[in-house]
Amino acid sequence: MKRSTPIRRLLLAAAVYHCAAGISVHSAALTQPPAKGGASPAPVYETQVRPILKAHCTHCHGEEPKLGGGVDLRLRHFMDGETKDGSRILHPGSPGDSELIRVIREGEMPKKGKKLTPEELATLESWVKSGALVSEKEPDSLPPGPYITDEDRKFWAYQAAVKQVPPRFENSPSLSPIDAFVRAKLEEHGLGFAQEARRAVLLRRLSLDLTGLPPSPEEISAFEADKDPAAYSKQVERLLASPAYGERWARHWLDVAGYSDTNGYADADSLRAHAWRYRDYVIRALNADKPWNRFIQEQLAGDELAGVSHGKVGDAVHDKSKFDALAATAFLRLAPDGTGDAVADANLARNQNIADTVRVVSTSLLGLTVACAQCHDHRYDPITQVDYFRLRAIFDPALDWRKWRTPAQRFVSLYTQADRDKAAEIEKQAVAIEAEAKSMDRKFLDELFEKKILEIPEGERDAYRAARATEKAKRSPEQEALIKKYPSALSLFGLNLYDPKADKLVQEKRAEATKLRATKPAEGMLTVTTEVSGDIPKSELHHRGDHDQLREAVTPGELAVLGGPEIQKPDPSLQTSGRRLAYAQWLTSGRHPLVARVLMNRVWMHHFGRGIVNSPADFGRLGELPSHLELLDYLAVRFVESGWSLKAMHREMVLSQTYRQSSINNASTAQDPENVWYGRFKIRRLDAETVRDSMLEVAGLLKKDMFGVPVTAARTTEGRIVAGVEVLNANGDVVKVDTSAPAVNRRSIYLQLRRKMPMTVLDTFDLPVMDPNCESRPISTVAPQALFLMNDDFVVQTGRALAERVRKELPGDARAQVRRAWILTQGRPPAAAEEDRFLVMLSEQTESLRDYSAKHPGPKDAPPSDPQRDAFGSLCQALLASNRFIHTE
Amino acid sequence: MNSNSSLCSRRHFLHSGGFGLGGLALASLLRDDRLLAAPVKPLLGAESFDVKPKIAPSPGRARAMISLFMMGGPSQMDLFDPKPMLAKYHGEKFPGEVIYDNVAQASSKVFGSPWTFKKSGQSGMELSELLPNLQQVADEITLIRSMRSGVSNHLQGMLAMQTGKGTVGRPTFGAWMAYALGSETQDLPAYVVLAHPSGLPTFQHQHWTNGWLPSTYQGTLVQAKAPYILNLDPPAAFLGKPQSRQMEFLKSLNGGHAAEHPGEHDLQARIASYELAGKMQVAAKEALDLSGEPEHVLKLYGIDNPLTADYGRRCLTARRLVERGVRYVQVLNNGQSWDHHGSIIKSLPERCAETDRPSAALILDLKQRGLLDSTVVHWGGEMGRLPVLQNDAGRDKWGRDHNTHGFSQWVAGGGFKGGLVFGETDEWGHKAVKDIVNHYDWHATVLHCFGFDHSKLGFIRNGGNLTLTDGQGARVVSELLA
Repeated sequence: MKRSTPIRRLLLAAAVYHCAAGISVHSAALTQPPAKGGASPAPVYETQVRPILKAHCTHCHGEEPKLGGGVDLRLRHFMDGETKDGSRILHPGSPGDSELIRVIREGEMPKKGKKLTPEELATLESWVKSGALVSEKEPDSLPPGPYITDEDRKFWAYQAAVKQVPPRFENSPSLSPIDAFVRAKLEEHGLGFAQEARRAVLLRRLSLDLTGLPPSPEEISAFEADKDPAAYSKQVERLLASPAYGERWARHWLDVAGYSDTNGYADADSLRAHAWRYRDYVIRALNADKPWNRFIQEQLAGDELAGVSHGKVGDAVHDKSKFDALAATAFLRLAPDGTGDAVADANLARNQNIADTVRVVSTSLLGLTVACAQCHDHRYDPITQVDYFRLRAIFDPALDWRKWRTPAQRFVSLYTQADRDKAAEIEKQAVAIEAEAKSMDRKFLDELFEKKILEIPEGERDAYRAARATEKAKRSPEQEALIKKYPSALSLFGLNLYDPKADKLVQEKRAEATKLRATKPAEGMLTVTTEVSGDIPKSELHHRGDHDQLREAVTPGELAVLGGPEIQKPDPSLQTSGRRLAYAQWLTSGRHPLVARVLMNRVWMHHFGRGIVNSPADFGRLGELPSHLELLDYLAVRFVESGWSLKAMHREMVLSQTYRQSSINNASTAQDPENVWYGRFKIRRLDAETVRDSMLEVAGLLKKDMFGVPVTAARTTEGRIVAGVEVLNANGDVVKVDTSAPAVNRRSIYLQLRRKMPMTVLDTFDLPVMDPNCESRPISTVAPQALFLMNDDFVVQTGRALAERVRKELPGDARAQVRRAWILTQGRPPAAAEEDRFLVMLSEQTESLRDYSAKHPGPKDAPPSDPQRDAFGSLCQALLASNRFIHTE
Repeated sequence: MNSNSSLCSRRHFLHSGGFGLGGLALASLLRDDRLLAAPVKPLLGAESFDVKPKIAPSPGRARAMISLFMMGGPSQMDLFDPKPMLAKYHGEKFPGEVIYDNVAQASSKVFGSPWTFKKSGQSGMELSELLPNLQQVADEITLIRSMRSGVSNHLQGMLAMQTGKGTVGRPTFGAWMAYALGSETQDLPAYVVLAHPSGLPTFQHQHWTNGWLPSTYQGTLVQAKAPYILNLDPPAAFLGKPQSRQMEFLKSLNGGHAAEHPGEHDLQARIASYELAGKMQVAAKEALDLSGEPEHVLKLYGIDNPLTADYGRRCLTARRLVERGVRYVQVLNNGQSWDHHGSIIKSLPERCAETDRPSAALILDLKQRGLLDSTVVHWGGEMGRLPVLQNDAGRDKWGRDHNTHGFSQWVAGGGFKGGLVFGETDEWGHKAVKDIVNHYDWHATVLHCFGFDHSKLGFIRNGGNLTLTDGQGARVVSELLA
């Protein structure tokens, strides 16, 4: 085997598996060869010692304006001095005489935070003993605050991706670049690729992966029969072109963007009724393969791209060429936002929303956890608090916490002038009808009164008439007394009690108004992030992250360690600050070290079940190191070169041999159970939406209409949350949930996502909580999932629907029905023995259920029981619950 | 991790019916020897994970644990840690530096506890008048007044106390217990979480997450209202034979599939989850059904009183679960209901009134049944509160801000020393100063009670041996142990 791999990369990656979480020591071997004679090498200052000091000491000793004890530990040569008490900070060669070591040994330091581990202390001691040397020249002096060293900048994630040449294998020169990178690593670990998966398995995998739906039996047999060498790539193209592709891959992006149909934060968790327009935008963008540089720019700064400021947005939403860019900016308004609800501290709620928005942006695009730098400098990554507030300042003109706009104040009406006129006209008519109803009511009551007054003694009639005609507040005590004396004669209200027939006429009239109002054109709203022209707030550092402790002013900018140009208005004619646009352009310039890598890592993770960096939202020092750095860089560079086409990258990934492997490879399972080296396609459970959608699809229930208002979530009396409409009684309690509308069977992406009311079927299978977003979903295996698949009404009914579907398709042929249900759910026909056994079970099950219904006759008006269907349904339910069905392999 | 089920007997296995033939029929099916035999060993010798009972390296006294977790941060100077200095300087400026979390409403005025303390039990442990029932069992509890996590805010504090560190994604203590010791019953989950009727704590599933441990070790949520565990039962017509037939079919499907994929743990785990689910159908209902408990027990827990009924029921349920072999039970509050930034004078007595009697009853009841010695009962939250006022806008609005630098919690049973007060905060109650117990020291100590060395009990992941205390320099606080 001959191949070329840059040595630095090799060494770096070789270190991956020797580092637990925490401070990495990956490049130690590069700067200092092991000492002779087997003694352990002296610790390297830059890579081993300084990170310990940074984690435990320099926060007080150097980074804060006030220097703890007058000691600055940011640079080695700063340690040549003495403490305030005159002790030598450092005595090279003699740890026992070094104050630095003594205070740690004796537990005096660190005063705050956790103590050093014995290993960390030993590293320091050994370094001092070996002479306390540095490997690289240090600057003579430093400005106050944290300092980013060259060593920091050398960390792989902060260096731009380098175009990688794939390794070459003489015996298989046509290996695709992805496969070459993967194969090299596999061979390093004594592993190889698995066989190619069977076609039926492969198509199911591909279809679930690209569209979130299983293939039909006809699609499988067509693929199996296709002799064309391009058979597989034809399937790839078909699925990428399917509208279901956008519905599936939008879901992945909505996770990291933190999409929800409610506002969150406050207890109320109020509805975010118009959020779906952003969801639809994402689906459209993915289906159209909108280049991701554009996609990102629109979401961060669509308003600025369209040249729209707050004052002009009302008109701009009607401009078709600008609509998508404006709809995209709801991305910046997805974080939990309690500012429209009752909250204890409004300023806190605003600042929390901004912090969450920064978190969404940074985890989704930068793959860094910057959140801790909100309160203090990051202890592990070279991200300072100033960095954090510079990043935040990019968004300040749009999200100004002092001049805040609540969610409702971000809405822009989609009413046209014609709509507006029409609505006003209808309202006018409705008001007139209501007035008419009111006068009818009065007229009936007056007529009544003329009869009732005759029941009063004649002498009091005039006085009573006068009392009735007087407004209640202006009546004299005598008048009140008189009315009390003959209460039922009053006839001023409650027509329904006196004359239900007349009242019905009034109510009918009123209903006309309601009905008429319903014909108003629906008023759509679009959430748009905008800036008020010329309104650029001052951005300050918030001491300890507290908005009441403002410190120095900061200018907008990228995290210092990532470099990047100054944030300047890209176009002087812009009415807005241009900050977000400039930032978005930098992020998508192709030169940013993280964006393309983070995106490609996530896409890879969805296809292969595991990220190359297995902490997809943390590429920093506390994250995991990439298992295949060269591959990741190759993909990142390719992505940019492809014009940021996601579909191009899907194609390259799913066409690879790596992707097409079987899920069975005993050597890989044994040596690499987590499949770090991709020696098989690791079998994995479907995610929540795919479990539900696949069940509905094979049962023939799935409604495939796209886009629009979400299907509401409703809480049943048993505590399930299901798709449906709550039917309330007069007290506002739910008496039942109406699930009769076909829309309840729409794809999961169209179900209402309420932060505090997750749909049970999705929640059971690890639907993430959007707080504020979700970077990667866990996959759990717990007994409640088993109970759900065994007993939940959704699965029971879906099993029944599957039974009905095959009975209808193949009437009268029980064997054919069984085979059909089997192919639909298991991807293959049953073996003869399986089929026979199924039929025996079916007749036994039918018998049991027949017995039951004989003993438990239902109410007379209930539909007749159908034991045969229910029995078949229960066995179909088991097919749906089976591991083969709810996993992809 | 080896499992040898023949060595472990269930402590109290209660065979009880009363749920109709269907449930029993299913149970007997699942109790079938073939199913209870050790799971099929993966052909490749890779590790597979289960909740079969395990033996600790040096078995300790503790066999089970009940954590009464009080999310929000109960105020130690009003409940457990009397500070005369606060009363003396009430309303005056606090002389030192205070570490605030909520600076917006911060005040530096000293806030003397409005409540008095009483010397309780033989030991003379000083406890607040808000905890009259706890006072009665003072000699059974170990009161730690020097807890410290030092991380700010609720999520991080909760994570530190529950997972060993203030970062998201790590396994909770209960998950470690389930992983390390399994469950003494295979009919109930190893790790059960009992939710408050008004809802979950703020951070929801993070209270019972398995983190990066296998998902088998996640806590099972039990709601306070029926259906306690959603979907415990099939539709009526399927109870019994029809469901067992359905399950038999499913088992054959899954068995064939798993055989094609030797060594894939996820498939094994899912098959196991059905076994557990089937058994849970019977056993969970039996365990959650309090109707067979005698009058005096219900009364002891305050179940006859609307104020204490909910918490009483859940404490009693916790006892019943532990009695049946569940390893770890966590009883939760809703939201962060101990987070008294304001109106503490009204709200703190309310929270105490709900929980004091049932918590004390749990100790008495366990003791009377001979279970206290082997069951650790823990009462505490993720932090404590500050000695100064928050929200200085009138007495009825007064509160206290967060404090993770010094707070109190108590623990009973399982080898802890009764009647002991351990550790001290400074004279104001702000920071732990003597015999400090960091969250990781606490974890190391509890693991020790169960027979584990915290630095050794680990999970291999990405080439590293990850532990609960994670190299933070934890120590077993042996002074706490009898």
